[in-house]
Amino acid sequence: MPESQTAEVVPADRYKPLLPKGRREAALAMLRSGETLAKAGRMVAMRRAELRDAVLDLVDQMDLTARGGDWPAAFAAAHEIRGLAATAGLTATGRIANGLCQYLDAVEMLRAVPDAAVAGLHIDAIVRSARTEDDTARHGNAVAEQLSALVSRKLAEIKG
Amino acid sequence: MSGGAFEHLKALIVEDNQHMRILLKSLLNALGIAAVYEATDGEGAFALLRDKQPDLILSDLSMKPMDGIAFAREVRMSKASPNPYIPIIMVTGHTERHRIEAARDAGVTEVLAKPITAGSLFQRIGEIVNRPRAFVKCTDYFGPDRRRQATDGFAGPFRRRDDFENDLAIR
Repeated sequence: MPESQTAEVVPADRYKPLLPKGRREAALAMLRSGETLAKAGRMVAMRRAELRDAVLDLVDQMDLTARGGDWPAAFAAAHEIRGLAATAGLTATGRIANGLCQYLDAVEMLRAVPDAAVAGLHIDAIVRSARTEDDTARHGNAVAEQLSALVSRKLAEIKG
Repeated sequence: MSGGAFEHLKALIVEDNQHMRILLKSLLNALGIAAVYEATDGEGAFALLRDKQPDLILSDLSMKPMDGIAFAREVRMSKASPNPYIPIIMVTGHTERHRIEAARDAGVTEVLAKPITAGSLFQRIGEIVNRPRAFVKCTDYFGPDRRRQATDGFAGPFRRRDDFENDLAIR
């Protein structure tokens, strides 16, 4: 076997771990404790309104750039939306944004051009879902599923 | 419950979205990690890594000018890296398989998909605490062992020095 193709293994006890063995049990107990999770949940809840505003700003930005034909900027905004929306309480919005990003990524991998109508439908759905006064996830989720089915059909067409 | 287990740790967040940085910092604070440094891209993060010597990194994938993949590779492979063994959790909205594989092949320790929850982040940190992994070093990779589960009947290719040593020992 050529020397250049072999790999060396450095066992875990040969470098400094995140926590020494003596503190691991307490650390794991803390990570799993209801109290810690509740505290973290409260800290996230405190940020929810601010996150929601941030997502709505991104939605406006996405809408504006899409209307202006700046698709890369619109898709970049959709990517940010999918990362934040669910945490902001906009679950359906995040699902639809994720669907759009996955479609664009799949099309890129197939070296094809995104269907503008498919992208436009997603963007419209993201905008409507996010701007609904209370995020009616039932409706939004139904839309997300329909768009997902559309994307599957479109990708199947590309693959032939 | 005291924050004793984590209170001496320092963390580095590498994320270009301000709100995500605040969210991640809040979750680390909830664990008792008070010293949290922030960077908006890989270049700034590498400077902080050298300056502040954190113990844990949470990094986004898509950033400019240096993205999370390039940053992870720099941390693992660069001679200037102060700690090539540092745990790196890649926190990303990208869930596509090829991107996850790219992150793995850049040497990240764990991948966490956005949207994040406290439970999912704490679970990844728990993995790092409870199961520190061996590191593998070869010409084009240095990072955690990418074999996360033993596969019965694996027939090769065998590329590790200890694969051959074990084979010779068995013979």
